[in-house]
Amino acid sequence: MLTLAEHALIRKDFLEIWSSKMARATLIAVPIGLVVVVPALFLAAVCLVPLEQAAGIQEMLSLLPPHLQHYNAQQGLFYLLTNTLFPLFFLMVPLMASAVSASCIFAGEKERRTIETLLLTPLRVRQIFRAKLACCLSLSFVTTAISFGAFTIVASVGDIMLGMSFFLNWSWLVIILLLSPGLMVFGAVFMVFAFNRTSSRIESFQTVAYVALPFLLLYIAPFTGLFRVNATVLLLAAAVVWLCDLFLWIYDRRTFLPEKFLNAPLED
Amino acid sequence: MEAVTAVQLTKTYGEVQAVRDLTLHVPQGGVFGLLGAQGAGKTTVIRMLCGLTKPTSGECSVLGCSPAKDPAAVHAVCGVMLASARPYAHMTGQQNLLFFAQAAGMAEKAAERRVSELMKDLELWDERERPVSEYSTGMLQKLSLARALVNYPSVLLLDEPTSGLDYESAHALHALVSQFAAREDTTVLLGTSMMHYAQSICTAYGILEGGELVASGDFQSLREAAGCRAHAEFRLSGGESLEGFRPDETLATGLLEHNGWWRAELRDEEEMPRLLRSIVEHGYDVLEARLVEPTLEDVYKRTLEQHPGKEGTADAHAG
Repeated sequence: MLTLAEHALIRKDFLEIWSSKMARATLIAVPIGLVVVVPALFLAAVCLVPLEQAAGIQEMLSLLPPHLQHYNAQQGLFYLLTNTLFPLFFLMVPLMASAVSASCIFAGEKERRTIETLLLTPLRVRQIFRAKLACCLSLSFVTTAISFGAFTIVASVGDIMLGMSFFLNWSWLVIILLLSPGLMVFGAVFMVFAFNRTSSRIESFQTVAYVALPFLLLYIAPFTGLFRVNATVLLLAAAVVWLCDLFLWIYDRRTFLPEKFLNAPLED
Repeated sequence: MEAVTAVQLTKTYGEVQAVRDLTLHVPQGGVFGLLGAQGAGKTTVIRMLCGLTKPTSGECSVLGCSPAKDPAAVHAVCGVMLASARPYAHMTGQQNLLFFAQAAGMAEKAAERRVSELMKDLELWDERERPVSEYSTGMLQKLSLARALVNYPSVLLLDEPTSGLDYESAHALHALVSQFAAREDTTVLLGTSMMHYAQSICTAYGILEGGELVASGDFQSLREAAGCRAHAEFRLSGGESLEGFRPDETLATGLLEHNGWWRAELRDEEEMPRLLRSIVEHGYDVLEARLVEPTLEDVYKRTLEQHPGKEGTADAHAG
């Protein structure tokens, strides 16, 4: 249970995130782009472009699971997009949302030298750590939930237009229930990890880009024919993410100390 | 219980010893002035007392709580004003104070009451809706003082609260500090290099030099320890000179001229009438005579002079 003081800190941090243009843009524009605009454009392309004559389409359709081999080119391509490319876009949302909010309220406090003022309150360092993480995670949760709702609408429209069954399958369930929350936590705890090593919000935010690389590979690799991303692979990925979360959480709790992040000068 | 205690407190940054074997006992009530030039170690002492910096060795406590072991407990009873602790620039002054009041565990209504009370007392009420980024230096200092006072602290640790302020603002802020110290039964530890202001509000002092506490006590005891005595000053009619006059050595030192005034250090201020009489009896026409008590600045300078081996920086402290 969070105390009154921790609630006050969470409210203050919400205000702080909201007052940052970069954070606002990332929390609103990026999800809209990734889970609404881009999927809608892909859907329009699938519907409007004559795919049967397109080069390499048959090779691509061979990536469909055996029970969906009867899908035509449009259906097959939209299925592949919904289960390979769109999850990648969707998973960027929880990761970006928690990383951006964490960069604002952890690195931002250090950058603006307000962390010292915060440490002068009767809040314990652990309480500050907990409240800030709670703020990042709840914001990321809301952003991800709204994004998923928006994506569901776009994907359902596509499914209806192309006469396909509802897109939600075991892979998507693993994504929503395990991988997304894992990435939410990861974005935040990784930023705390980076917090001690970076001096600005921009710098700490850039480090998240490196973290996103393994996920890009996870979803790009199937197109090379190396392996297929299914629920089992995603379960394994989720397990790895949660293990990383646990490790970083323990590490962060140990290293989130005033001496680490106060740039105490040689004062008089 | 003492408000602030430090026992052999030492802080080393690399090879630089910022504070060395500092032992200090500040009783509850009153304003304790921690005096020193830039680099004397005042800020480091205050940072250690509020738990922002851990001592390299030694111990300290605020109302019995150890800032190194339990800084949150110290912050619950102690308000701190440091130049490096900045408010949230994107929030208004009122939002800042409300946040700090609630972060101290105050319920919303109580926090609102306390914030409006402080903002009115510190003349920030009219600026409450303005973002802090638009505040002037003086307003920021007042806001910082309000933040330090927001949770009714028993101990206030203030580091150069008037730094960067003009004369009037500095004077007003010091008046507020002494007003709060009296009204709310708060012990104030004031780190300052402004001797003039320190003398007007402090009840006891500690003099820091090179990270070492070279003297402490109330003004009288510091003055006695430093051997600072009252001066007799005379101005003679028609710009007459006292060069030839040799006062009784049991009364005073030799007379020296400065800006038309002849000045002698008295062995005891009670000897002033005898010295004056002696000058008059020697036929000098005294136009004006006055007894000048030593100021804190005089005591501070004399104390530093008596501690050889330290860099003499006394001239930088005129306040």
